[in-house]
Amino acid sequence: MVSLPERPGITALVTLGRRLTGGMLTAVAAVTLTFFALRLAAGDPVASLLSQGLTTPEQAEALRRSLGYHLPLLQQYLHFLNNLARGDLGVSLYSGQSVSAIIGSQLASTLQLATLSLAIALPLGILLGSVSSWKTRPAAQRTASTLSGLATSLPVATTGVISLLIVGLLAGGQARGAQLWLPALVLGFAASGPFARAVHSGLESSLSSPYILAAKARGLQRGRRIYWHALRPALPAAIALIALEAAFLFAGAVVTETVFSRPGLGRTLVRSILQADFPVAQGIVALAALLYVGSQVVADGLGWMLDPRLRDRG
Amino acid sequence: MTRRLAILWLAAIIGIALLAPLLSPHPPDQSLFEPLTPPGKGLPLGADALGRDFLARMMIGARLSLLLTGLAVAVTLILGGLLGFSAAIVGGRYETAVNWLSNVLLAIPGLLLAMLFVAAWGPGIAAVILAVGIGFAPSFGRVTRTIVNKLMGEGYVMAAQASGGNNLWITSRHLLPNSLPQLTSYAGTYFAWTFLAVTTLTFLGLAGDPSIPEWGALLNSSRSHLQSAPWLAAAPALAISLTVLAVHAIAGKEPQR
Repeated sequence: MVSLPERPGITALVTLGRRLTGGMLTAVAAVTLTFFALRLAAGDPVASLLSQGLTTPEQAEALRRSLGYHLPLLQQYLHFLNNLARGDLGVSLYSGQSVSAIIGSQLASTLQLATLSLAIALPLGILLGSVSSWKTRPAAQRTASTLSGLATSLPVATTGVISLLIVGLLAGGQARGAQLWLPALVLGFAASGPFARAVHSGLESSLSSPYILAAKARGLQRGRRIYWHALRPALPAAIALIALEAAFLFAGAVVTETVFSRPGLGRTLVRSILQADFPVAQGIVALAALLYVGSQVVADGLGWMLDPRLRDRG
Repeated sequence: MTRRLAILWLAAIIGIALLAPLLSPHPPDQSLFEPLTPPGKGLPLGADALGRDFLARMMIGARLSLLLTGLAVAVTLILGGLLGFSAAIVGGRYETAVNWLSNVLLAIPGLLLAMLFVAAWGPGIAAVILAVGIGFAPSFGRVTRTIVNKLMGEGYVMAAQASGGNNLWITSRHLLPNSLPQLTSYAGTYFAWTFLAVTTLTFLGLAGDPSIPEWGALLNSSRSHLQSAPWLAAAPALAISLTVLAVHAIAGKEPQR
């Protein structure tokens, strides 16, 4: 007797719950690490302002009190967590602006860059991945696999600068599109690598699987149709990668925004580190950690929706 | 073919790094020329904004970039190796704790983790080395732990344990020699990642002094002359890219991320 496939019932819910709590714990731990790494290693953030001659000792003492730095470390940490839960990330040591306001003002620019890059990376990755398994066209296959290799291994800093050089040579003077399209293309190219790899390995395994052999035996013609037939099971793995790419795009945005002198969270993070503006750095890294953990949970969820076989694994 | 070219390129870079002061036509830190002189006779890569021979700076840069990367890889290998070995050998709660801590660290994207450490210590060369080295340690620790754990189940290790060998003896006699070939097969990939991370951090100006002749820092400072002196940006961009590609071309296995 053929046993019926189990419905994704209680076991799936339990696994999902476990993943969620695991993700939350990791996020809290990552945020805690950010807090203690910055506070323990860097010591008193106000002291650096003082040593740079930016404040008088009296002002520094007042600033310390207003920021709560005179309290014991553990109490500061609890304060920090409490404020974080309410979305209050403290104020910048330099501008006095609240960190959430700074993040809010820079978020749109980074999101715009990341979304556009993703919109370029997904189709480009699927294209590169499929063409790199195209055995009947060796030249195209070799080009595609070289390109996807370059996408995964070349640093964004150098591809960015090289693209600026090429555009400068072609257009001469200040090129148009250097603010959005060029950075998005550079970041999108880098982000297409993992998609291409997922599609390529999916295609390789499905092209050699029995159902393709069966399709050939039934007379399905070689060429494009068979690729489409084989591509479909490879797609879920690539699409589930989108969530994981979110974190990659954020880290990539740090470099891309610097290369193209584009406003955004990444550039703000670099500046805050150079200026020892700890609350801002802490806020952005904490946000990135939360984003990363969140995207992993979403990636799991997407994988489940697209591939039922994953649901029963712990 | 690609492999041979990659070895050739890396050998050349290492040779230049070792012999930079001998090979260099001019001192790298003296303003001897007209600022932003284009490449020409005697100055294959032109001069930078302060009139210094750019080829000389690239040569000393090879030394700095490789040195920073090598030190950071050493930090990763030592720290990750210690964590991985101890976790696999001691086992129990300690292994769970190490495991959990590495998962937390791996939950932060590598570049951001490194930037977090640089933020804590303040920008500087030592901060970059330690940050990148520690940043990759959890990943290498996991690789090591998996390999050593597999060895722990081998018959000869269990025999050594049964005959009363202590952990130090088993580690030095059995675990280390047998895991080394597998571990070194990952070294190339870690070198490539570390090189990338180091040049990225120096490119972002996180090595403190922005005027050091390191490839990432050179790439960063040449950005302000992209229009008037494009060769200044092209040289470090190509050098970094070719080195990363060369290391990837001869690198062995890649750990799962």
